[in-house]
This record gives sequence, structure tokens and C-alpha cells, in this order.
Amino acid sequence: MTPFSGLLFFYIMGLLLLPACILGLMGKSLRHYGFIFTVLMLIWVFGENGQLLSLAVFAIWQIALCLVFFHSHSKSRLIFILVIILSLLPIAAVKIGELFPALGTRQLLGVSYMTFRGVQVLLDIRDDRLKELRLLDLCYFLLFFPSVSSGPIDRYQRFVGDLRRTLSRAEYIDMLRRGVWKLMFGAFSAIVVSGLINQYWLAALPPDGFLATLLYMYGYTLYLFFNFAGYSSMAIGTAHILGVSLPENFNMPFLSVDMKDFWSRWHISLSTWLRDYVYTRFVRGALRARRFKNPRTASYLGYALNMITMGVWHGLTPSYLLYGAYHALLMSLNEALDLHWKAFRKLKQKGFSQFVAVFITFHLFSFGLLIFSGRLFS
Amino acid sequence: MLDEVIKILNEIVGADEGEIEADLNLFEAGLLDSFAVIQMFVALEEKFGVTLAVETLPREEIVTPALIARRVEQAL
Repeated sequence: MTPFSGLLFFYIMGLLLLPACILGLMGKSLRHYGFIFTVLMLIWVFGENGQLLSLAVFAIWQIALCLVFFHSHSKSRLIFILVIILSLLPIAAVKIGELFPALGTRQLLGVSYMTFRGVQVLLDIRDDRLKELRLLDLCYFLLFFPSVSSGPIDRYQRFVGDLRRTLSRAEYIDMLRRGVWKLMFGAFSAIVVSGLINQYWLAALPPDGFLATLLYMYGYTLYLFFNFAGYSSMAIGTAHILGVSLPENFNMPFLSVDMKDFWSRWHISLSTWLRDYVYTRFVRGALRARRFKNPRTASYLGYALNMITMGVWHGLTPSYLLYGAYHALLMSLNEALDLHWKAFRKLKQKGFSQFVAVFITFHLFSFGLLIFSGRLFS
Repeated sequence: MLDEVIKILNEIVGADEGEIEADLNLFEAGLLDSFAVIQMFVALEEKFGVTLAVETLPREEIVTPALIARRVEQAL
């Protein structure tokens, strides 16, 4: 069972969303029913997949780590590193298991996204940003069903802010309208458009040859965009119906003028998460400690760390690792051009040169997605 | 405070005297990127002894020198 696919899924989810709609239209809080909805959907979907026990063990593990770390009030760097490693253990086991199926490691749908949630809470505890941590809020955040399998990646404090807020009837009607629209638009994009591209474009191409690979690159880029943006839209729409405003994940990425611009438009919740919790932490630490003679070195290394983390997060296969390294290189190159070629900024801003910048950027990230697809390694 | 913020910004981005004004949108002007934002906040921390968690601040709240100066004053 895959979330957001198949008529049965939409039928069951529609039925379970009805009480939320009724409560919302009555101006009541959706917090408790939203949690019940999440639990019921998880039991059904993960139960169908035979992953319910794995999910329960994973959730208890992450929740226990967060609660113990929060209540320990520990400032020890060693303990902090230890809890982060412990939090990453399940995803490491799953990713290694994907690479070496003979190990027989259990798979877990959504482990990548749920791990982000757990690690983010731990990092916020470390930085003293959380004044309180309630068990039910933490469970709901960690397991929130709409975005469990493909994001967007939310932030704990923002999410809890939504839970605390009871929408008026008028506010909920607006949320509901946007939610239903996003759900329908997302379904059309992820199921119909990407399905057609897959069936009549990608599947029709021969397995090798330069022209076929070039056409595959274009087709796969469009396929992945419509598929992923569609699933994100369905998740955001479903969350809206539950009174939660998940962050947007895409903003016209095909109009990007450079790779930095691209990462502010493509999988936005992932790139901003990595920017805030990997790049910023690394660069700030390096600047405070004056680790490098040239401060910009911290930025180049920060991008490398950021993008390689992104690649590893997707998986440990060569295609994902190379995808991360490729984007690390492009981001550093982008930074160097911004710094040392003053005309670069102006060229990207208007006119024909901007069109050329968009064209080049499109091909750079399309080639990245070709690496990501694994076709070059098959 | 505003003058101090503009002075730090001038040093970081290498802007000319008078180029950065109180209400200039620093991102639209292409003067600040992710790195320069962190560099600016570290400089402000060292100058005023405040802790500013850049990752918790929405970008729209730090787009101009005036808004940044207000943030620092609030943190003091």
C-alpha cells in the first residue's frame, strides 16, 4: 500500500477526513481528531505493508530519545552527538539494508522523513529552542500521516503552533477549499500527468544510446517534477483539511536562473532544512572559531557537507552519492561565480542573458536528475 | 544601532559608502546570500554580545538593515 495511490486509499482517507471537515466547519479544534486520523491511517497503511511493528519500534525509539534528551537538560557535546547517532541508527539500518538486501534488514516507509523530524527536535533541544515538549504533540509531529511518505518536511514549533490554534468557521472554509483544490491538483499531477510521461515517454525509450539517454533526461525531469510536486500537493492539501499548513515544496523550479535559485525552488522544505540545520550550523561554528583563514572556505565546505548529506539521505547507492557530490560541486561553483565574476549577477537578472541562464540551469539540474535516476549506472 | 549594522554590512559585502540604506532590501539587491547572513549574525553577536539564531528567523524579518537593527535591539 502506497499513500495517495489507488481508489481504495482515497475512498478510505475521504471517509476518515469527513469528521475533520465537520469539526472544522463547526469551528472546533481539529487537534485531537487529527491525531486519531493519523493513527488510523498509519495502522491501515503500515499494517497492509507489514511494517506496523517496525513503525511502532521506530516511533518509540525516536520519542524516547527526544524525551530523555529534553528532560536530561544535558549540555554535554558527547551526549548530544550520541543521541544524534542513536536517532540516525534506524535510517542507517534501512539504507544499508537497501544496498545489501541479503542482510534482511526491515524496510520502513517514510523513515527518511520521520528521521528528519526526530533529528530536528533533538537539534532544537540542543539549541534551547524548545521550552516544552509534550508527548502527544511529539507523537503527532513525528508521525503526522499526510507527509509521512514524501514530505514536505515541517518544523516542530511551526507544527505545534498550528495545533494550538483553533480556526474559525470562515478560516476553516478557506483552508478546506484550498486543501481540496491542492489534493485534486496533486492527484492529477502525480497520477495522471506523471503516469502518462512514464508510460508514453520513459517506458517507450530504448535502454541505451546517447539520444535515448538525452530524451530520458528530459522526460525523467518532467516525470519527477509532476510526480513529486503532485505528492507534495496532496500531502499539503490533506494537511489543510486537518487544519495544518505544511510548507510549500516547489516554486516554479524550471525558472531558476542558477543552482542556488534552483535549490530555493525545488524540494524547498528539504533544502531549507539542510540550510538551517547543516550548512548554517557548520558555517557559524567555523566562523565563531575562526577555523579558516579565508572565511568563504567555510561556505564551500558547508555546501559540500550539505549536498553530500542530501545525497546520503536519499540512499547509499552510487547514483545518490554522486548526485550529492554533483550538487556540492555546482553550489560551490555558483558561489565562486557570484563572488569573483561581478557580471554574473547582472546577467541572471534580465533580458536574453537571463533566458540563457535559465536554459543552462535547467540542463544542469536535469543532468543531476539523470544521475539520480540511476540510468547511467544500469 | 542602525549605523553599526550598516557598518558591519559594508564590511561584509564590500559595499560603497552610502550604497546600503536603512530600508534597502538586501536580498533583492543581491548583497546578502546564505553565507553573508551567517557572517553578519556572527559579527553582530561578537559586537553586541547577543545570541541570534539565524535559522529561526524568517527571511522577511531580516531583509533590511532597519529590520536587522530592530532584531538586535530586541535581543539585547
